Amino acid sequence: MKHIIVIGGGVAGMQCAAELAAHNFKVTLLEKDSDMGGKIRGWHKLFPTFTPADEVLSGLRLKLAQAQNITIMTGSKAVEISSTKVALASGKELECDAVVIATGYTLFDARIKEEYGYGIYDNVITSADLEEMFNKGDVRMKDGSTPRRIAILHCVGSRDEKVCQRHCSKVCCVTGVKQAIELKQLYPAADVFNFYMDIRMFGPGYEEMYREAQQTYNVHFVRGRISEVSPNIDKRLQIKAEDTLTGRPLRMGVDMLVLLTGMRANDDNSHFAANSNLRCQPSGFMQPRDSFLHNTESNVEGIFYAGAITAPKNVGEALNDGATAALRVKAWLESKK
Amino acid sequence: MTFFADFCIPFIVGATVMFIIIAAKYISWLRDLPRSDIKLIVKGAVSPRLFTAAWEVVRESLLHCRIFRVNPLLGYMHMSLAFGWFLLIAVGWIETVAYLGLKWVPLQGHVFFKYFAALNDFGTHKPTFDFVMDLLLLVVLSGVTLAWLKRLRSRAMGMKRATKHITFDRIALSALWFIFPLRLLAESVTCAIYGGGGFLTGGIGHLLAEGINADILHTIYEPLWWAYSSALGIFFLTMPFSRYMHIFTEIPLIFLRHFHLKPETKEKSYDNFEVEACSRCGICIDPCQLQAQLGINDVQSVYFLRDRRYNMLQQKIANNCLMCGRCEAICPVGINLNTLRQNSRTSMRNIPNENRYKYLRNLDRSEGDGRVGYFAGCMTLLTPNTLTAMQQIFEAAREDVWWADKSGGVCCGRPLKLSGESDSAQKMIDYNKELFYKHRITTLVTSCPICLRVFREEYKLEGIEVLHHSEYILRLLRQGRLQVGYSAESTFTYHDPCELGRGSGIYDEPRAVIENIGKLLEPAHTRKDALCCGSSLANTAIDDRQQLTIARGVAEELDATAAQTIVTACPLCKKAIARGAKNTVKDLSEIVAANIK
Repeated sequence: MKHIIVIGGGVAGMQCAAELAAHNFKVTLLEKDSDMGGKIRGWHKLFPTFTPADEVLSGLRLKLAQAQNITIMTGSKAVEISSTKVALASGKELECDAVVIATGYTLFDARIKEEYGYGIYDNVITSADLEEMFNKGDVRMKDGSTPRRIAILHCVGSRDEKVCQRHCSKVCCVTGVKQAIELKQLYPAADVFNFYMDIRMFGPGYEEMYREAQQTYNVHFVRGRISEVSPNIDKRLQIKAEDTLTGRPLRMGVDMLVLLTGMRANDDNSHFAANSNLRCQPSGFMQPRDSFLHNTESNVEGIFYAGAITAPKNVGEALNDGATAALRVKAWLESKK
Repeated sequence: MTFFADFCIPFIVGATVMFIIIAAKYISWLRDLPRSDIKLIVKGAVSPRLFTAAWEVVRESLLHCRIFRVNPLLGYMHMSLAFGWFLLIAVGWIETVAYLGLKWVPLQGHVFFKYFAALNDFGTHKPTFDFVMDLLLLVVLSGVTLAWLKRLRSRAMGMKRATKHITFDRIALSALWFIFPLRLLAESVTCAIYGGGGFLTGGIGHLLAEGINADILHTIYEPLWWAYSSALGIFFLTMPFSRYMHIFTEIPLIFLRHFHLKPETKEKSYDNFEVEACSRCGICIDPCQLQAQLGINDVQSVYFLRDRRYNMLQQKIANNCLMCGRCEAICPVGINLNTLRQNSRTSMRNIPNENRYKYLRNLDRSEGDGRVGYFAGCMTLLTPNTLTAMQQIFEAAREDVWWADKSGGVCCGRPLKLSGESDSAQKMIDYNKELFYKHRITTLVTSCPICLRVFREEYKLEGIEVLHHSEYILRLLRQGRLQVGYSAESTFTYHDPCELGRGSGIYDEPRAVIENIGKLLEPAHTRKDALCCGSSLANTAIDDRQQLTIARGVAEELDATAAQTIVTACPLCKKAIARGAKNTVKDLSEIVAANIK
């Protein structure tokens, strides 16, 4: 029985492992954390349907549990990759017939944009922090009071030359709309502002959700980036921005600022690229063999990609990638016979 | 007694043309000087500075002491060529006097003395002069050999890269290379035929006389003197248009500098002396991080000055410079490279827009009413940890503070000035100056070295002491108004910001502050030799990735000290280095605020 190693236990990796097992391969799924799920773990609801993230995750867990011949190794970080062998940080080496890399992305560290005050001022939080708050059912300011005015800033660590992140992280726009709606559902009296560069509603149902946010929930959208944040006299956050549609500078006191942090390439990527002859894109994400017919294959025979390892993707796309990569592995192994 | 032969013509023509052109250049530059500069010259010329200047001319134009300090081998090369040649001329003149007494001898009579000595028969040889002249010729020839070596293998001379030269330079250079070997040959053949000469020319002459048929020697005799004269002539003709213009120009430059003339925000006639005093030695190339880290090799000061001199300066060259001052610090001629580049940018870009700054009228967002003013600056507002730390420090020291720009202020003007928009910068300068006076502050503290520099150099704030926060914090510590906890366990390394270190000469204060808190470890490049973080506002040509590459290089060095924390005292450096460093990067004020007792 052929042995496939899937690196990364996020949605793409879980999906891929389960599909491979269904095609009668022996599968080892490596996850560096103590639990499966990747970034979706800790997420509250998924756009645009407000499906609980847990629902997707437990579906995947069930699929893995029901499958034969899957070994799940949590707490296992891959350090060297070739198509026939994967070395772990523990020093252990695993032999295999093919490898699927599904190590996803890294959340941009909002502290790097010091001007937004994340980690400096209370009540400046990231979109991931907000999801956690939603999960706990406890969206409040540091002093326990209810926010009356909330700003959501798009493109933190995306489309930003100053922090070497030129690419669009793709999912933040719609996340901003989703979170604005959730905040309004929670605090209907609060004012919620989205500060955006462009609103990119690329997926099915997204544009409708954007319209709904404005019409039903009265979420405000301001085109312009926030330039800096400072505390004002009454301990609120003073934000400075430019409304680029009216061409006017704008100052506003808010109670809470949500930073929609983008996806950046894993630091490991360049290491894998150098040591395994894989190709990186200028953005740092891995380069698939091509963008169309072989978009889940790497330039190295026997090494495949699934999910956000190659570019920012939403959950649905990552799941598709997982299934596609499994089929590609199967086809490749069969063609080798 | 005749002092003319046909072969002298190339030399005479070359020397005459050269002196006329150089005189014309100097006269026109001096004529165009602004009145204030002429006053300075008149004042300086009757002061003791005249003598200090003359002494510097000896040290720098002849002995090349500064190059010696940077690179001894290169120093010797320049000294042997300049001082050796000078002595050849001077001793040659004395030799003429010794033979002929004090009488007028045309220039070529001195230069081709050996020829005319043989032609006119000046009487008995004077072996001492033969020896000294040969020794000097040998010294010059050793310099020429090193010059050849430098072209062939610049690394052997301690330079990673030598200057790429233009045609005029190449012609002049080739002529210069041949002058002294040809002189050696011509004089040796003369000695071979007529006898005399010292250990070198006489010695070679002796060998030639023995080994070569006398007819041949007689046939090549005149052509060799022709060749020597032609090499001199070509060198002199090309000299005013080539790098060798520096040989003479450095002399008036040194005098003018001692008379306190200097380049300013806008180009002026004096700049010509600085521009043409550049010898294109290329010492500025190696320290340039754009060259070392990014492989950009056509923007360094040597090329900037060259392009400016020949009126072919392009914006993309002028703008592509960090203005970190590493080259200026090492320039053996002491040219004000940054100011010249800045005023070139001003000439190319200064288009003041009157409407753009209307909003400055009646704008005042300042807070507080202390006598100590704090100007955060735009970059500090973008790194609020520094601002918060300063706030804590002021509170701990119970300082009553006037906050100039905490809720947004007007830029200090330096970024605009650096980019060449000097007139627009002036509007900001005027605005802020008025604001400072209006609030009657006596001390102005800033945590941004970029602001500090323009406050000190351009604002001319009378009655207001301008301090960088490192100086201010050290003062608080020394006065006992601020106490910090010391821990031998905490290790720090310090990155000298360009504008603070080389720009403002502040090296010791931040270090003294750090040593009050923990142990300081120095990186490989430090103080005057410190690297630039790469994010300099002065460079509008490189992109973010290139900035990051430079920052990573700097961060690597700082990380290599194994200090727990990298400290700097400039918000821009902090942001830049933090992108490349493994360790945490903090502003000086942050580590102070965190350790207040």
